Parts: sequence; structure tokens; C-alpha cells
Amino acid sequence: MRRRWRDVPAAAALLAPSAALLGVFVVYPLARAILLGTRKCNVSGRVCKTVGWHQYVTVWRSAPFQNALGNTLRFVAMTVPIGLVLGVGLAVLADKQLRGIGVFRTIFSSTIASSVAVASLIWLVLLNPQIGLLSHLLKDAFPVVKKPGLLNDGGTAMWGVAISSIWAGLGLTFVIVTAALQSVPRELYESAFVDGAGAWRRFTNVTLPMLSPTLLFVAVVMTARAFQTYGEIDLLTGGGPNSAGRPTETIAYLIYGKSSKIRNDIGIQSATAVLLFVLLLVVSFIQFRVLERRVHYAE
Amino acid sequence: MIRTRRTAATLTACVLALLAGTASATTPPSGSAGAGDALAGLPGCDPAALDGAGGPVEITVWSSMKADLLNKTMEDLTNQFNASQTQVKVNYVNQGGYEDTIPKFLDADQRSRPDVVQLPEYMVRSIVDLNTAVPVGACMTAASFDTSAFIPSALAQYRVEGVQWSLPFNVSDPVLLYNKKLFAKAGLDPNIPPTTLDDVVADSKKLVDSGAATYGIAIDSNFDNGGGWFLEQWLAKLGQFYTDGDNGRTARATKATFATPEMATLLTQFQQMVADKTAVYVGDNNSGADHLLAMADKDHPAAMAISTSASIGSVLTILKGGQFPHITPDDVGVAPMPGPGAKGTLVGGASLWINDSGDPAKVAAAWKYLEYMTQAQTQATWAATTGYVAVRTDAQALEPLKTALTDPRFTVAGQQLLDIPAAPTSAGPVVGPLLEVRTAVAEGVAKILTGADVAATLQEMQDQATELITDYNDRNTAG
Amino acid sequence: MPSDRPDDRPALDRSSPARTVGRYVLLVVVALIVLAPVWAILMQSLKSGPDSVRHPRSLLPVDLTWDTLRHAWRAGDLGRLSWNSLVMSVLVTAGVLVTSLTAAYAFAFLHFPLRRGLFAVFLATMLVPAEVTILINKRTIESLGWKNSMVGLVVPLLATGMGTFLLRQVFLQLPQELREAASLDGLGHAKFLWEVAAPLSRPTLAALGLLTFLTTWNQYLWPQSVVDDTAHRTLQIGIAHLDNGRVDNINLVTAGTVIAALPIAVMLIAFQRHLVRGLTAGAVKG
Repeated sequence: MRRRWRDVPAAAALLAPSAALLGVFVVYPLARAILLGTRKCNVSGRVCKTVGWHQYVTVWRSAPFQNALGNTLRFVAMTVPIGLVLGVGLAVLADKQLRGIGVFRTIFSSTIASSVAVASLIWLVLLNPQIGLLSHLLKDAFPVVKKPGLLNDGGTAMWGVAISSIWAGLGLTFVIVTAALQSVPRELYESAFVDGAGAWRRFTNVTLPMLSPTLLFVAVVMTARAFQTYGEIDLLTGGGPNSAGRPTETIAYLIYGKSSKIRNDIGIQSATAVLLFVLLLVVSFIQFRVLERRVHYAE
Repeated sequence: MIRTRRTAATLTACVLALLAGTASATTPPSGSAGAGDALAGLPGCDPAALDGAGGPVEITVWSSMKADLLNKTMEDLTNQFNASQTQVKVNYVNQGGYEDTIPKFLDADQRSRPDVVQLPEYMVRSIVDLNTAVPVGACMTAASFDTSAFIPSALAQYRVEGVQWSLPFNVSDPVLLYNKKLFAKAGLDPNIPPTTLDDVVADSKKLVDSGAATYGIAIDSNFDNGGGWFLEQWLAKLGQFYTDGDNGRTARATKATFATPEMATLLTQFQQMVADKTAVYVGDNNSGADHLLAMADKDHPAAMAISTSASIGSVLTILKGGQFPHITPDDVGVAPMPGPGAKGTLVGGASLWINDSGDPAKVAAAWKYLEYMTQAQTQATWAATTGYVAVRTDAQALEPLKTALTDPRFTVAGQQLLDIPAAPTSAGPVVGPLLEVRTAVAEGVAKILTGADVAATLQEMQDQATELITDYNDRNTAG
Repeated sequence: MPSDRPDDRPALDRSSPARTVGRYVLLVVVALIVLAPVWAILMQSLKSGPDSVRHPRSLLPVDLTWDTLRHAWRAGDLGRLSWNSLVMSVLVTAGVLVTSLTAAYAFAFLHFPLRRGLFAVFLATMLVPAEVTILINKRTIESLGWKNSMVGLVVPLLATGMGTFLLRQVFLQLPQELREAASLDGLGHAKFLWEVAAPLSRPTLAALGLLTFLTTWNQYLWPQSVVDDTAHRTLQIGIAHLDNGRVDNINLVTAGTVIAALPIAVMLIAFQRHLVRGLTAGAVKG
């Protein structure tokens, strides 16, 4: 009991900076946003009247939110599994002591260097049907990049955004999985080898179980990121094409986007943002619960 | 009859000035006794406050000119203002485009807002509702500002319920750009562009059938172009209101009224053109240039596109650059916006607003800057360099604009603006959420152009617009 | 598959030459795919004028010129903007390392009431989307009078739940006896933290520092929200401003992206080992 209290002064001193910063710049805004979500505010966002908690229900049920929710889930389902599989694939491919492997590792991790803005601009230059290089060069080979083009077609626009996002996220996934691979004890492979396990069996029986905590971590981070996708949408599609009923408007884009109809309405913006947070919380919780049971912890 | 009016585009500056004189004579000058009453209770403006200030008064100006050429020119003019006098020093900050400036300005604390901000025509009602703007009408009255040379419709665009809120700086209008070479190839007279939508349909068919062009016209659904702004223009040409309250000019708008049979007919015409491939639909046009690029397409060109007059300068500059060797600057013709009805279009572009900083000296300094930016010589330079229409007709007699206007293509939009009648339907809608309404309208237009049922979709668009207006009014009016 | 049989070659060099060649081919192909967009952008920014767009030649390394990069650098005032980004990123990185170290130390080595609860709150902050906080934080910064200042840019980013979490993982793996021995030697918390715990977690610190620097350098929404003068703009905002709506200027934008990504790419190549090693030590072992 004495021990429980003895460290309090030191703990307070050491925790004060982080706690204060996180309190003021994360917890307080969250609380404020939750409250604002129950209000209706004027165009300056400073003169508000209280509507009540049912505003959250109204927002949740509204057509734009439901559309954005569906799009966000679709985007997550597109980018997370593919990004994960590609990241693991690249890491396994490069996890070999070969001459010059460092060069390949650097290349594979290189997309970390690009911000969302940079990556989206790159893909805009490549995919835009009017100025796009890829569209121009490949339009004969691949009909899909013909006009109206990947990004202007309701059926493929989200894939255009997803490609940019997967590409930009590949580097980080690769680096983290590579790190995890290197910490897998080599003896485990040796013994699997001795047991006559083939390459695929070694991968499923040794590599995957040993990687599982990392994969859980990466999956959670990737999902959280995908749920908050904004920049790619802003630069590549603006939530459109409108002809298909805003098939790329994600929740984050609904909150901030240039062509969002709630952008100058801070009450609805806040309610939407809080709903996004709750959604993330629930999804992360489920991920931990479901995946944890299948994850093999090394220690 | 209307077609012969095309040749009016070639009229010279002195004729324009003459027309301006007659137009302004019929409009009561701002700053009359009536305006003074409307100004009661609003923040005041005392241009003399500048003389009391010891030393130069520093003010901040936010501009919203995204295009390189426009931004540079505006900055140069601001620097010239700084150099021309010692009482005011302007700190010029470009915030990007309108969509960048708007949320920044709205979200900001009153004390961190700039003293002067450049905002587009669709923001009028919102800024009035902020209750933080100094109506320039107050400065005009106090300074006995002479507005007789201004294009009347340009001033009227920024006047609500009798109060002149801001001063137009960059004025534009939609015009038709067309490829004369392709017109000639199709056997059409390159000097007689279409003036009605029926003409557009007929000419497009000829252009396509003759093999001269792949498409007659390129259309888009950008909210600030074919998806939203143009619809307001066509409604004005038809002499119809966009909302109640006389487009929100005499009383706060409460509902949208644009779903008229004539609008349905117009949208059906465009839908039909896209369906039979005499028009190409270029989508949401996020770049703002996709409809023009469709005209420049080497393999599958469109012969026409409707665009803001502010783009003419950039289009000609780019074509001069030789990136599109199959089309030269001389191939481009400019004509008034085709459409139904005989009435005029609406004023587009942006105006300069004075923000009430609570410091009379800063308000006076801001007014001095506005005076400079709208004086004849400044506007002559501005319009000649950018392709915008000068807000005042006396600028047309000054260089470099005088020379620039010898190219008839640069006179079209100005003439179109002067042709705007004094009818109530010819003052554009002032609706709080006009940006949001346009966004909703643009979504509907996109659906219609790709085949959705016109009547049902148009009704849906109007219902959504009314819903947005109701919600906005609920949030922004007391009680 | 004969090569799958155990043999007496060293463990890491077991593959047959054929498989090694196959792996190399695969590596090269994948590397080309990953690099292709980068290549396209690089070529764009090394071409002059409008003819770089929409032309097959624009992907070939012919007629290269520095003009576009130079123009972008000058037109966007990218020198000053890079400096702003650099200062911001360095300050945030240093701050995050310090606050994470101290907080992680408290959670790993100290006993106090509500420790678990408080740690859970720290973890939960990772899940609060920026969309939620930015709306309110820009007002907080404004009311503090920190708009258009480096302080306003930096302070809200100085603490992260992620940093605390990563370092606590590392600290927990340090033998408990180490702390006890230090205690016997009369080493205080501060001394132990700086002289023993921090040096021992250097790989993770490096990785955390690198990742923090990267994320800060690439921040867009936050600087855009609290800066509205030209003096405090960051590089990412500057690039967005390079897009001036002219189709024939697209290579100016690509040049800007190259300039923005270059320092990060160099850092990455230089410190990639640390990144991998640091992450191995930290997050990986749940």
C-alpha cells in the first residue's frame, strides 16, 4: 500500500506533460465535439442552440451519412486486405539474405516517403482521363482507362482511390512486417524443415503464427487509417462522380470535403465526426476480440 | 434578329461607354437617401478616420485567385497601391481558391479575420448573416463615391434589401467558346455561332454528321459551371426566379422555385444530346478545365463549350504555348451564352468585402484600398491582363484595356453584362447556403445528363434545395 | 521439389540457383511496379514546359532539365516553406520523444493509483480521428492567440498515445532487476531514465523519431487549419498552392511533390535499418 502511493509525485511529474497535452488537444476536443453534435449553429459556428441527442440519430439515418458509411466500409474492405497481403508478400519476398537485397528493401519501403497529398497527386497525374499519362498511354491496351476513365466512372472510381491508397500505405506495412519477420527465430524454420515441411507449409505453420501479433497491429492501424481517408478523395474524385450518387464520399470527406453539404454546419460536422470515432472504437474492439483468439503470441 | 446581335460583339469601346451611360442613367445612384435608411444599425464607415491615425495603417487582404496569372496581377496592383500612398500598408495573402478562403474566413475568430476579403458571388447572404461586415454602402455614402461608371448589374449583384454590401472587383459571365475551324469544316458560318439551345442542338448535329467534330458541345456538371452556375443563368434568361423573395433580394428566401417546365425542357435537351452523342459529358469536372480540354482533344474534339469569360485569357495563353498544335488561338471564337429566353444573364465573379475589425482607421484603410482596386486605371490593367470584365465602363478607354478590347472576343462578356435588364429576375439568387444548394443541384444535373428521369430528378433537386434553405434559416435567424 | 529437402548447406543459403534467380526476377518486377509512379513523376518534373504532358516521350529520360524544379522552388517559395516544415518536424519529433519517454517510464516502472485506467485513456487517444480534434483545436489555438505561429503548429502534436505505448512495451522488456539495482545505487528516476532506460531503448526511439518526423512533415490538414498567413505555411500547403489550375503547369506540381518527398526519401534510405530494428524491439512483441 505504501508502495502504491510512494511513486505518486514522480509519476505526476513525468506524466504531466503528456497528460496535459492529450487532455487539452485530444480529450477536451472530443468532449466538446460530442456536445456540439447536439447543437445547431449559425454560419460562424459560434451562435448555437441545443437540439438534443437525437441529432445523432438524425445524422446517422440521413441519406448522406448512410451513403458515406457504406462507401467507407467498402473502401476499408478494398484496401486493408489487399494492402496487408501485398505488404506481407513483399516482406516475405525480400526476407532472404541475397546480394543487393538492401536496395530492394529500400525500394519497397520507399512509398513511406510520400504523403497522402504527394501520392494522390502522383495518381491524379497518372489516372486523370484528360491529362493522365497512364490513361493516355494505356487506353488502347486497357479499355478500362478509356474515357470517361477510372475516376469518372461510378463503378471504378473507388478502385482508383484505393490503388493510390494501397500504394501509399505499402511502404509502412512492408517495413513493419519485415521487422517482425526478422525477429522470428531461425530455429523454428530449421525444425519445420527437418520435419519435411514445404515452403508453403513453413509459411502457414511457422511464419504466419509468429507474425500474427504484428499482423493484428498492422490491421488495426490500417483499418483506422482507412476509416479516416480524406486526402485521396479530395484530390482524386471530390466524392464523385456525382452521376453515380457520390460513390467515393467517405465519412471523413463528408465532414471536411470541398463539395460536402455539411461543411459549413459545425453541429452536424461534429455529430458526424463523433459517429466516426464511435465506429472506429467498435471496429477496433471487435478486431482485437476476434483476432486475438487466433493470434499466437510468441511470449 | 438575335443572330445579327452577334455583330454587336465587334462594337468598339466608345459604343460600350455610350450604352453604359444610358444604363446608369436609369439606375438611381447608390448612396441616396433610401440607402441611408437601410444602413441604419449596421457598422459605420468614416473614410476620414485615416487622417487621424499616426503613421501608416496596416491591413490584411485575403485574395482567392488560384490561377497564377490572376494572383500575380492582383498582387502587383496591391503593391502599386502600397507604393502610391503612405497612409495604408496592405499585407496581401493569397489563400488559394474560393473554396480555400471560404471555410477559413467563416471558421476564424472575428479578430483573426482579415480586413478585406475577396469572396465569390454565391457567398453574399452568408457573409451578411455573419453580422461582421461593414457594408461598403456606408463608405460610399460617407465618401460621396461616384458609381455612375460602374456596370449597374455588377453593383446590383452585391446589393441586398437596399444595402450595398461589397464592391465587385473581378466580374465575369458565362460565354460560349467555339472552334471556328470545325464550324467551317461542317459547312457552318464560323461567324454565326448558336444563340439559342435549339441552335446548339442543330449545329451540334451538323458538326457531328459532317464528321467535322466528334461532338458538338462539351458539357460538365461542376457546381460552379454547368452543374450549378449555368442553371441560375438560364433561369434568369427565362425571366424566372430561383427562389422566393425575388431571389432573396427583397425578403429572405425560404424555398427554391427553379423546377419550372422550361428548366425541365432545357435539361431534357441536354440529356438528349448526350444520349445521341452530339454532346460529350465530361463529368464533375473537378479540375475546372475538363470541358475546355474536351475542345482541345486531338482525336475526339468537341466544337463548343460554355465557360466563364475569366477563362478566355488562360485558354488563349495556353494555345499560344503550342501544347495543342491542332488548334490555334485564332480558331477560338467567343460568343454570348446560348440559351432559352431573351433576357440577360447574371453577374459572376467575386467582390471585396470589408470586415468590421472595430478599428475605424482600419475600416477607412480598407475602403481606400477598395477605391484603388476599382478605379478606372486599376480595372483597365486588371481586365486587360486577366480577361475579366472591367467593373466600370470608363476603364475601356484606358490602356492597356483599350488595346486588349480590339480583340472582339474580350468584349463579348462585357457587352452581355451591360445587356442585363433591370428586371428583378436578373439579380442572381442570394441564398445563405447557395454553395450547398449548387452542390445538390450539380448532383442532380450529373444524374440527368447520364440518363435519370428529368422531371423527378429536377423536383428532387428543388426539394433538397428547399430543405437546405430551411435548415440554414433555422440556424441563422433568431427565434 | 528437391531443394526443399534438408541438406548440409548453411541455413540461410539453402536455395538452388534456379530459385534464387527466380526470386531476383520477381524482386525486380515488383520493384519496377512499385517504382513506376515515382519514375513517371520524376520524369515529369525533369521536363520543360507543356509538352511533357500527354506525350509518350514524357516518360523517357530525354531532354531533361532542372528548369521545372527550379521554377517550382522559386514560384512556390519552397525554400522558406521547407524551413518551416523542417523546424516544425524537428520540434514535434523532439517533443514527442521526450513526452513519450517520461510517460512510458511512469507507466512501466512506477506504481500509482489509476495506472491501468490512465494508460487505457492514453491508448484510446490513438483512436480519436483527427477529424474530431481539428475542428475544436483550431479554435483552442485561436483563443490562445497562437494562430499563425510555430507554437500553434507544434504544441498540439507534442504528445501521442502511440509513442507512449511503443516505449512502454520496450521498458517492460527491460529486466525489473535493473531498476532495483539502480535504486540501490541511489539512482533517482530522472537519472535512471536518461542514463539507463533511454539508451537501452535507442532503436525504438530512433524508429519512433523517424515515424514522427515523417508524419509531421506530411501533415496537411492541421497546418492548413491554423495558418493563414504566408510566413508560416508549410511545404505540403505550398505544393497545393503550386496547383494553379493550369493544365500545362501540371509538371510544376509534380516538381513540388518531388521536392517535398526528396528529403524524406533520403532520410529513409539512411535510417531504414533503425526503423526496422526499432520496430522489432517495440510493437512487434505484443
